[in-house]
Amino acid sequence: MKNILDRNQNKAEEVRSLLREKKVMMVNIISSPGAGKTTLLERTCESLADKIRIGVIEGDVATDRDARRLQKYDIPIVCINTEGGCHLDSHSISKVLGHFDLDHIDLLFVENVGNLICPSQFDLGETFKLAVVSTTEGDDKPAKYPMLFTGARAVILNKTDLIPYTNFNAASFETDIVSLNPGITIIKTSATRGEGIDEWLGWIITQLKSFNAS
Amino acid sequence: MHELKIAEELSAMVSHHASAGGLTVVDRVNISVGQFVQVVPDLLEAAFKIAARDSVASEARLEIEIIAAEMRCRRCGTEYRPGDDIHACTACGSAEIEVVHGKELFIKSIEGD
Repeated sequence: MKNILDRNQNKAEEVRSLLREKKVMMVNIISSPGAGKTTLLERTCESLADKIRIGVIEGDVATDRDARRLQKYDIPIVCINTEGGCHLDSHSISKVLGHFDLDHIDLLFVENVGNLICPSQFDLGETFKLAVVSTTEGDDKPAKYPMLFTGARAVILNKTDLIPYTNFNAASFETDIVSLNPGITIIKTSATRGEGIDEWLGWIITQLKSFNAS
Repeated sequence: MHELKIAEELSAMVSHHASAGGLTVVDRVNISVGQFVQVVPDLLEAAFKIAARDSVASEARLEIEIIAAEMRCRRCGTEYRPGDDIHACTACGSAEIEVVHGKELFIKSIEGD
């Protein structure tokens, strides 16, 4: 019996061991299109780019608009344009790592292509996966896309400021997630308004400290 | 549409193993796919036809076995099939669970001459 994604898995392990040697924590961010991945990264760079050496790999089906939004923070950014492809894989990550000076990066974010199914299947060599879900997508996403939520270390529930205008049921969302992954951390944010961002920043710094201590 | 990438990887592996096993023609490829991998079988079959078109498996039939999700409760040990949207233990209601089956993605066998 042979795992069909063996080649991807082997390359992912290579990436993981290189990043471990270079002491770079890589976070693979997965969400639907428009959930707020780039806005979350903007808030993160605003507060942390002068304290932590951040790099970003932007995966996008077309254009470099997301990458351009982050340019003002003066951090290294590499854009992978998948030209329609619905996810990144470990080979594409391995190829672009050479564009970074890994000795001078502490935290590398990968903004995966907006999609809840396909990116969940491909290990990129990340330290962990981060799921981002926005309240306007509905509270049924964990139940419909279990692979992502069983594999993620944390989930950001974004656009909490819009809950009054939707039928989003936060209790049901949390119950579904915890029933798939009891150890997962849930952080509620409104990335555009800033609510919950301090909790997110505190959490990511704690992860980075324990990564470097391990 | 992760089916296309899976089909490409599958096609490369089938060619590799066929050649290692001395097969010049592959008639049938049997694979197992867990329910949580969320593959659409028709799409995967169509993608495999395209990915394998210039290979020893260009005429091969792809047989896909879907493996149903199965959970195990860490608290009471019950193994159960989760409901459509409820994954907690069906016996004690605990959320301390693990996925036993549902994430598989592997080749069972390759047949040919």
